[in-house]
Amino acid sequence: MLMAILSNGMVPAVTGFWQLQISPARLISDFTLMANPGAALLNVSMVGILGLLVLRLNRIQLSGPSLAAVFTMMGFAFFGKTLLNCIPIIIGVSISALIVRKKPREYVLIALFGTSLGPIVSFIAFELGFPPGIALPLSFIIGIIAGIVLPPLAIAMLHLHQGYNLYNVGLTAGFIGLFAASIPNAGGVDISTFATWNTGRNIWLFLLIPIVAVLALALSIALGAKKSLKEFLSIQKMSGRLPSDFTEMAGKGGALANAGLLTLLYWFFMLIIGAPFNGPVLGGLLTILGFSLFGKNILNNVPIALGILFAVILFGKSISTPWIVLAFLFGTALSPVAGEFGFSAGLLAGFLHLVLVERTGAWHAGINLYNNGFSAGLVATLIVSVIEWYKTNIEQ
Amino acid sequence: MKRREFLVHLISEVSSFLLQGNPRKMVVSLHQEADGIHLAVLDDRPRSDAEIAEIEHSLNTARRPELAGYYGQMAGQDLLGSARLNLVGWQIKHADVLKTPEGGVMLNLWIGGEGFEFDKFNLSKGTQE
Repeated sequence: MLMAILSNGMVPAVTGFWQLQISPARLISDFTLMANPGAALLNVSMVGILGLLVLRLNRIQLSGPSLAAVFTMMGFAFFGKTLLNCIPIIIGVSISALIVRKKPREYVLIALFGTSLGPIVSFIAFELGFPPGIALPLSFIIGIIAGIVLPPLAIAMLHLHQGYNLYNVGLTAGFIGLFAASIPNAGGVDISTFATWNTGRNIWLFLLIPIVAVLALALSIALGAKKSLKEFLSIQKMSGRLPSDFTEMAGKGGALANAGLLTLLYWFFMLIIGAPFNGPVLGGLLTILGFSLFGKNILNNVPIALGILFAVILFGKSISTPWIVLAFLFGTALSPVAGEFGFSAGLLAGFLHLVLVERTGAWHAGINLYNNGFSAGLVATLIVSVIEWYKTNIEQ
Repeated sequence: MKRREFLVHLISEVSSFLLQGNPRKMVVSLHQEADGIHLAVLDDRPRSDAEIAEIEHSLNTARRPELAGYYGQMAGQDLLGSARLNLVGWQIKHADVLKTPEGGVMLNLWIGGEGFEFDKFNLSKGTQE
């Protein structure tokens, strides 16, 4: 929040923040360009506070998965999530829990990750052209309905890839997005995708990730350098398959070291390939930070990144194209495939992900913010199905 | 989740874990009472004290409702890859792991509601003696 004020000053940050709440939010809506970096940072802070508040209200402790959810929310608040479009989804998921007589806290992770469907709310409220008196209530109702159907679908999708896609709600939201985008399309509404991509420079956006990553590393050392190193090394041997809470399975110090190092590595990689530190790129890096506590480690990421790189080279793509930059950052959802089945499977997963992800965004018209999670889910399902078929059918 | 389906998934995950060790023998025993359930699964594969401590730790992790309600649904269903006892641990009241006279282990799982006290369960005393 301090960075938001330092970046552009209090008044532009607040007015820009308000402007973002009433803007379209489908992929790719770079909030650092649509308003200003300060407004985007303020939105990130507010969405992060919302996530923490939801956890607090549900009496859920901060751990690998809950922090992954909050960092993912914050990351996507750079390019799609707003306070306004997150709330109906969270309410809907809580209602879903009550319908089956569970406590809302049992679905709290689905609620937080499920805010990837926030653009449905913004789309109905601000893109369809309805009068505000109709658009706002209607967008809230549709957002709540989307939230209600999320848990049953999220659990069903989990069984498809068996925990080998870290962004399970991405696959789920993509599935819902197919229907959500088809309905207005059938009614003759133009729902073509668009991309805003900030190529400008801002010192605070440039420094945000190194500051957070170094803080994570410092905290890790403060928890005991030797112990943290031992835990960090043990994390590198883990597959990362859902649900791998590194803070519990190894220890907090090792998990923080893993988060700090992996995020810094990707930050340097972005620097080397000349990617701008804009909203979507920072969103990707914050998501890596969160999931480095919950499934991603350095070793299970390498084959995925190499697979994507191989596909980029083979098909002669430009490495700094927005959707390829995002594929490098978010394709890491497939890291458990490499962690469990080895280097070759990871390489294949990364390759297939790049081939597929270019197309999937158009299928749901950018309504699902976790487009890479959708693609990764399809890739993981394909690979897991073949491996399972082979392992369960081969004659001993 | 209905009790029958819930039990099938737990038995499946725990059985999958023990079968990973390729035992010669495995026995599943279930005892149901009105307010709680005792599930015992035993095999004949020898395990070190460290392995037993690890199993006990996985089964007695702190209750994690946010994980049990979502990822816990994978227990006993998604069996490709290593079995994961923590998926079971989030959903049960208590577990202990004992060495059997045949050299294997016996996993005792107690399942019940908030008011269920596993140590008052009549079968538990008989089992541990």
